[in-house]
Amino acid sequence: MSETIRFNFPAPVIDDSVDRLRKEVRAFLQEEIRNGGFRPVTDCWCSGIDPEFSRKLGQRGWLGVTWPKEYGGRELSALHRYVITEELLVAGAPVHAHWIADRQSGPLILATGTEEMKRTLLPRIAAGECFVALGLSEPESGSDLASVRTRAYPVEGGWEITGTKLWSSGAQICQYMTVLARTSERDDKKRHEGLTQFLVPLDSPGVSVRGIRDMSGVEHFNESHFEQVFVPENAVLGSVGEGWTQITSELALERAGPERLLSTFVVLEKAFLQAAATMNGHQATVMGGMLARIRALRAMSLGVAALLEQGQYPEVEASLVKDLGTRFEQDIIERLREFWPIQLKQSFGDDLHYLLADSLLRQPSFTLRGGTNEVLKGIIARGMGLR
Amino acid sequence: MGFEMEQTDQLILDTAQRLFADHCGADVVNATENGTEPTRLLNAIFEAGLPLAWVPEAAGGVGGSLALGFNLIRKAAGFALAAPLAETMVANRVLAESGLEMEASWTVLVFDGGPLPTLADGKITGLVENAPVYPGVARLVVPVSDQGIIRIATFVPDTLEIEHRESLAGESRARIQLNKASPLELSPVVDGMSEHGLMQFCALVRACQIAGAMEKMNELTVAYVKERQQFGRALGKFQAIQHKVADSAGESALANAAVEQAVRELSEHPRPFSGSADSLLSVATAKVVASEAAGTVSRLAHQCHGAMGFSYEYPLQQYSRRIWSWREEYGSEFYWSERIGLAVAEELKHSAPGQNDGRVWEIVSR
Repeated sequence: MSETIRFNFPAPVIDDSVDRLRKEVRAFLQEEIRNGGFRPVTDCWCSGIDPEFSRKLGQRGWLGVTWPKEYGGRELSALHRYVITEELLVAGAPVHAHWIADRQSGPLILATGTEEMKRTLLPRIAAGECFVALGLSEPESGSDLASVRTRAYPVEGGWEITGTKLWSSGAQICQYMTVLARTSERDDKKRHEGLTQFLVPLDSPGVSVRGIRDMSGVEHFNESHFEQVFVPENAVLGSVGEGWTQITSELALERAGPERLLSTFVVLEKAFLQAAATMNGHQATVMGGMLARIRALRAMSLGVAALLEQGQYPEVEASLVKDLGTRFEQDIIERLREFWPIQLKQSFGDDLHYLLADSLLRQPSFTLRGGTNEVLKGIIARGMGLR
Repeated sequence: MGFEMEQTDQLILDTAQRLFADHCGADVVNATENGTEPTRLLNAIFEAGLPLAWVPEAAGGVGGSLALGFNLIRKAAGFALAAPLAETMVANRVLAESGLEMEASWTVLVFDGGPLPTLADGKITGLVENAPVYPGVARLVVPVSDQGIIRIATFVPDTLEIEHRESLAGESRARIQLNKASPLELSPVVDGMSEHGLMQFCALVRACQIAGAMEKMNELTVAYVKERQQFGRALGKFQAIQHKVADSAGESALANAAVEQAVRELSEHPRPFSGSADSLLSVATAKVVASEAAGTVSRLAHQCHGAMGFSYEYPLQQYSRRIWSWREEYGSEFYWSERIGLAVAEELKHSAPGQNDGRVWEIVSR
C-alpha cells in the first residue's frame, strides 16, 4: 500500500513575552511612521536600505536576539525573532541593511566561525553596525550553486581568492561577505565536495564592488569581483571542503521565514484600509480570500518554526512554505489590479499606487531568490520519494 | 492529565484506522453507492462507539475532545467512509448540548446552512434543501429558530415529507419540507448555540473531510506515478509530473495547516457552537483554503493518473467527487471569503480615523 504523506504544522508555544515583544515593536514602528522616520516600502527586506534605521533596531536589542548574551544576543527563542521580523515586514520598514546578517550570516558565524569572529563581529551585527552580504551566485552559477568557479588557493598564512560573485544584495553597504569558493579541483562525480565558505572583509585589497540596477530601479544588487584577495587561515567558516553541507542547511532554515509570504502584505493592508468604507460583496470575496490564504500560509510558516524549535529538520515543509508563499506574494498584486489598475510610474502622492506599482516591478524576484521555485519543487518531489 | 487524554485519543484513532481499513475498502465504497448496505462496516462503527466520540461521558458517550472528533472525521474521509459517521457525531453532539437524550442509532442533523425552520405554537415550519439525511436513519435532529433563539427538535423520518437525493459522490442528501410539523421532542433553549455557530461547526467538519480526502488522493497519486511506466520510465521520474505532485502536496499541506489551526481554535473555545467573531476567521480560513485546494488537488491528481483515474473502478474518483460536493456545502470558498472581507471591513469602519494603520495585520495575526 502507498506510504502516508502527511505534513503537520504544529502550533508554536506563544507566551506572554512574545506578545509583549510584538506590541513593543509594533508601537515603535507606528511611532516611526508618524514621525516620518521611514516611508513604508514594499518588499522592504530587499528594497529598503537604511543603515541608520538598522542601528536603531540594534539599539533597541531587536537584532541577533537568539544569540548567546556573551556575543551580544539576548538568548531569546526563535519565535521572538519571528515576531520581530513579521512586524518589520508588514510595516514595510527599511530593513535590508541588516537582514542577511541577522537571519543568516550571524547564525552561520555562530555555528562555524572562530571564537574571535564571534567575539568581534556578532556584537556589532546585533548592534546594527556590521552588515554582511551573501557571496553565493556567480555569472555562471544560479540555481546550480555547486558549479561555482570562484577559486581559493592555499598560500602562506591563508588563502587567496579569485572570482566573481553576482546578485549579492546590499554589498555596497556591507563590511563583509561570506564567499563560497572551490578549494580543490572539481570532480564531476563529486561536485558537491571541495567547496569552502570564507568570511571576507570587503575592504580587503583586490575587492571591487559594482552596483547593478534592477528593473524596479533599485540598486541593491552587486557584482563583486575578487582579484587574488588574501584572507588569513582563520577566515574559513567551518571546515575546508564542507561548504556545500553548510550552505544547504543554511538555505533550508531561511526558506520558511515570514519574508517568504509577507513581502507584499503592506500593499494589501493599505488596499483594505482604502476599500473598507465602500466594500461590496465581490470585493470582499476577493480581498477576504487573500486574508484567508495569508492566515493559512502563516500557520504553515509558524508550524515550520515550531518544528525547528523541536530540533527537527523540516526541509520539505520549509520548501512548501516558500513555494506557496512567494507565489502568493505575487498573486496579491495581480488580484488587486482588478480594483486598482497599475499603469503609471509616478504615483502623485498616492501611497497605495506607489506600493502597487513598485510591487509589480519587484515581484519577478520573489520566486527566484534563495532558490527558484522549480528547485524547491524538486526538493518536495524528492521528499515524496519521486527522485 | 493532558497527556493521558492524548493517549486515549490516539488509541481511539488507531482503532478507527484499523476498523476503516478492514471494512471500508474501495469495493465497499463503490458497492454502497450502488445500493448495497455496508452492514459489517456500520456494525463495527457502532460497536466501537465512534458515533458517541463527542458525547460527554456523563451522557453515556466517549467524552472525547473536539480535536479527537475532528481528527476522526478527517481520518474517515481518507477512506471515503461509506457511512454517515460525521453526521451522526455532529447530531449527537448537538443533542448533548441541548440536553435531549441520545439513542444508539444513526442520527443526522437536518441543517444545510440555510435559514432555520421556525417554531410557532409548538409546530415547526420551514424548508431544508440539502440535509445529509440517509435512508434508514432512526432520528432527525432539527435546529429550529424560536424567535432567533435556538431549540432542538427531533423527528422520526417517516413523519416528514422527505425527497431523497444524492450528492455528486452518491452520498445521501434530502430536501425536507416541514409544514407545521409536530416534533417528537423539543429541547429548551440551547445556551451558547447560534445559527452562525452551527454553520461554523459544520463548515469545519467539511474542511476536515476535504483535508483527509486530499491526503489520500496525494497518496494514490504518488503511488501511481511511481508504479506506472511510460516512455521507458516511471511517470514520477518526469519533471513535469514531479512539479504537479509537488503543487498538489503544497495545496493539501496548506489546507492541513489551516484546518489544524481552526480545530485548535474551536477545540479551545468555551462555546464552540456560539459562532463567535474569534472563531470566525479561523474556521472561515480553513473552509476557504480547503475548498480552493479541492479544485487544485483534484485537477492535478486526475492529470497525473491519466485515464485510469477517470474510471469508476479506480478509487480516485470516490475522493474527487466527495471533495467537489463538500467544498460547496456549508459555504464555499466564495461564501467564506466574503464573510472574512466584510467582517474585516466592518472592524476597520469602527476604528477611529488615523488609528487604522496596521489594523488589518492586527486582525490577521490574532
